[in-house]
Amino acid sequence: MESLYNVLGFPILSLSIFLPTAGALFIWMFVKDDAAVRWATLSVSVATFVVTLPLLLSFDHTTAHMQFEELHPWISSFNINYALGIDGISMPFIVLTSLLTIVCIVSAWRCIQTRVKEYMLAFLILETTLIGVFASLDAVLFYFFWEAMLIPMYLIIGVWGGKNRVYATLKFFLYTLGGSVLMLIAIMAMYFKTGGSFSMLAYMDYPFNFDWQFWIFLAFFVAFAVKVPMWPFHTWLPDAHTEAPTAGSVILAGILLKMGAYGFLRFSLPMLPDASQYFVPFMVFLSLIAIVYVSLVAMMQTDLKRLIAYSSIAHMGFVTLGTFMFTEIAIEGAVFGMISHGFVAAALFLCVGVLYDRMHTREISAYGGVVNVMPVFAVVMMFFAMANVALPGASSFVAEIMVLLGTFNPSPEAMLYMPFSMKWVAIIAASSVVLSACYTLWMVKRVLMGDLVKDEVKTLKDMNVREFSFFAPLIVLVIWLGLYPAPALDLLHVTVAHLVDQATSSKLADAALIAQGAAAHLTGH
Amino acid sequence: MAHVTFPFPFPEHLGLLLPEMIIAVMAMVLLIWDLFIPKDKKQWVAYATVLVCIVTAVAVVQVTTGLSTTGFYGYFVMDPLASFAKLLILLATVFGVILSFDYMKDEENMGEYYCLMLFSVLGMMFLVSANNFVTMYLGLELMALSIYVLVGYQRNVLRSSEAALKYFILGSLASGMLLYGITFLYGVTTSFSFATIGPALGVANESAHGVVMLGLVFVLAGMAFKVSIAPFHMWTPDTYEGAPTPVTAFISVAPKVAGFVIFMRILHDVFPEIQVDYTNILVVLAAITIVVGNVAAIAQRNIKRMMAYSTVGHVGFILLGLIAANEAGYTGSLVYLTVYLFMNMGVFAIVILMRRDGMDGELLDDFAGLSKVRPGYALAMGLLLFSLAGIPFLGGFWAKYAVLLPLIGAGHLYLALLAIVFSVVGAFYYLRVVKYMYFDDARVTFNFIENPAMQAVVIVSTLAIVAIGLYPDPVMQLCKQALVGFI
Repeated sequence: MESLYNVLGFPILSLSIFLPTAGALFIWMFVKDDAAVRWATLSVSVATFVVTLPLLLSFDHTTAHMQFEELHPWISSFNINYALGIDGISMPFIVLTSLLTIVCIVSAWRCIQTRVKEYMLAFLILETTLIGVFASLDAVLFYFFWEAMLIPMYLIIGVWGGKNRVYATLKFFLYTLGGSVLMLIAIMAMYFKTGGSFSMLAYMDYPFNFDWQFWIFLAFFVAFAVKVPMWPFHTWLPDAHTEAPTAGSVILAGILLKMGAYGFLRFSLPMLPDASQYFVPFMVFLSLIAIVYVSLVAMMQTDLKRLIAYSSIAHMGFVTLGTFMFTEIAIEGAVFGMISHGFVAAALFLCVGVLYDRMHTREISAYGGVVNVMPVFAVVMMFFAMANVALPGASSFVAEIMVLLGTFNPSPEAMLYMPFSMKWVAIIAASSVVLSACYTLWMVKRVLMGDLVKDEVKTLKDMNVREFSFFAPLIVLVIWLGLYPAPALDLLHVTVAHLVDQATSSKLADAALIAQGAAAHLTGH
Repeated sequence: MAHVTFPFPFPEHLGLLLPEMIIAVMAMVLLIWDLFIPKDKKQWVAYATVLVCIVTAVAVVQVTTGLSTTGFYGYFVMDPLASFAKLLILLATVFGVILSFDYMKDEENMGEYYCLMLFSVLGMMFLVSANNFVTMYLGLELMALSIYVLVGYQRNVLRSSEAALKYFILGSLASGMLLYGITFLYGVTTSFSFATIGPALGVANESAHGVVMLGLVFVLAGMAFKVSIAPFHMWTPDTYEGAPTPVTAFISVAPKVAGFVIFMRILHDVFPEIQVDYTNILVVLAAITIVVGNVAAIAQRNIKRMMAYSTVGHVGFILLGLIAANEAGYTGSLVYLTVYLFMNMGVFAIVILMRRDGMDGELLDDFAGLSKVRPGYALAMGLLLFSLAGIPFLGGFWAKYAVLLPLIGAGHLYLALLAIVFSVVGAFYYLRVVKYMYFDDARVTFNFIENPAMQAVVIVSTLAIVAIGLYPDPVMQLCKQALVGFI
């Protein structure tokens, strides 16, 4: 067994993954009272966050090597290993997951009154699967966590969701499952191609020929595009978001959508560079549709959560656009955009949750003049609305500007199959600045501004301390990352540079060279 | 050979039959003993049956050597594969008997019920050890005849009798087809022995291709009937629905294990020379089976009928391992059968426990709100259903994985794609039951059967599924070991 790079010399990733489940088992067996369950779950999630902090603090950002690695045989019959490790791309998502889980649990404190215990257990188990996805270095282990995530999420939407929850959760489950199974087939095919390995790092090194890359890219594409979601695979998301309980929407927008884009970064780009380059026009086209068309769709929504859901799809369009530019600035922008969107979209869903807890409706037309009765809340919501528009000073501005800069100046490999200059793409993508401002500000105008006309709105009470408590860290993070993104970007630099290197070097040349080398070896030279 | 030493002169090879002899003798002893037991103590027969199964399982382990041993002029083979299958069958029987405890206690002639179960097990045990078409046919018929009676055991219930009659007529037809096919094979090779026919078929295929193909097709059709491969699955839904539920649980697992193991033997020992031909047929059959099973299950409102079509779907998946036709493929099929045993037994156990007013919790509506009434049952049922749908961290995922990987390795990528896409379709109807349990409110009240042994079946099955899901390696190694001497 090769030596593992783990500066802590301690299985910290396993601990982060399984602490929530261990806590869930403990709560399931020993904690009875609802209030006690809430506090116990909060303690477990805070403990998990504390455990994931060393990943951030001891992270070595001078290497692209996987860190905090763990490797144990799991299923020796198929050479499946329990292989964990993180780099600059996966580390932020693990910390983001553990942070947002705390937010989710605090936000559900009052509004979940039925089956509290099951709800909390579902979230802890969900946290395990999400961290597992980002920490896996074995393709089957990755798939294992990727799909196991569906079970708690199915229950969260289905049990605690809105009126149309059954339809929404079934749609969510079947869409995601349908996409993922093709990924499983692709992983199995790669297993045989590489001579019996499920190691993701081995796949990155293996010279797949173009046909293989083409088909495997498509199989992965379906799995990831459903998850991101990219147009036209996005229709499950507005339903799922609308019907999910607030915390469900938060984790959905904050983490689940990122899994798809993470998949592109972890699988498609480094493993299938030639197919990735070949599909650049296709990916750019779908991203632009997400940015422009979906933004227009968002504008016409009458339901607050649906509007934010569509806005999430548009923002993820930016992420996929940046991913397929193959330059450091664009991919860093994409990753940064995902983290930033994790805060902003989560916060906007929490804002809707605050309103919904009071009014029990998500219709925009039911509101109006909220600022008069809930001034603190209005400031908070206004702040995150501005962040959603990517106003300078917010983290999302940094992300969008980086992606746009990268799009104006893509790597030559991204241009190999592009029929026209990427400048046009950048110009169309930049229209998002206007479009997102349109739907966001219009929404703000209709909900927060205006005169107090509706009787229900007149009696609203402003946020309490608990509610403000879960917005506070998000506000701090959005401003901090917006004003001084350098420390966060430093974590990404080396990893992303390595990724760009992988994505821009053709495997076909390798294959030719290897064949040449073999021929030379045979002829005795 | 056998580790068992006998204190008296013993015919050669008879030791191989020790487990079968225990079952046969004890079944007859119980039949007579039953006559002398007072009416209110008939449960003793059930307990004795469990004991017999456990003793037999010990005997199976005793005669297992890790080698392939044939006896009785090659009519009977005792290899790790046969032992593994026998242990699975006995485990399924123990579960089946336990599930009958409270369910069948009001029926008449309970003693005979358990004896019939033992006789069907005897048939299955001969079936998995058959190395010759004669042994195979005898085992098959002993199994089938006992099960026909078991299915129709509630003779005052119309649908039970109807189920038995349908099963009997179609089953007899299948037996006839099987025999017809065997005669063709005998005609071209003048042998009933697997070991002789196998090599001889290669030569015969050159000279009498048509006759060999006829033999192949009829044998495959006969086998397909027995393990409910579409389009020979017609009897399955009616029989599953009409049979007493413990019998449904029993026949959804034990005969499938026996059927698939003998199917494996026939394909591997009898037809290796015409592998291309049988693979083509099986690919089509597997595709139809997976599609029909998963699509038809969607329309069902009765969970026993739904599970019948679900069985058809799963049978299609088990068949995939046989199509791969290598060590990994056969291992995959065995893993699938093992996992499937626990999943089905667990689900049917819950259906039986939900009995009220002489009815089971049969309709899907009956599951509404179960998570509030009985959170434990709902959790177990939920895990079992997610497992049936093939979602990870549960055993069902690895079962699908274990057959799909060798299938792709054998080059059947399109079949694998079709299978996995229809497993998503299948997920829909399993999730629908979860929906009833967790998302809906209760509509009916239940008188749950409170029987610790039956509840233990639920707990054991669920724990087994979770354990296999988290760490499947031991089961996979075990199934691989079972193929020593066979491959």
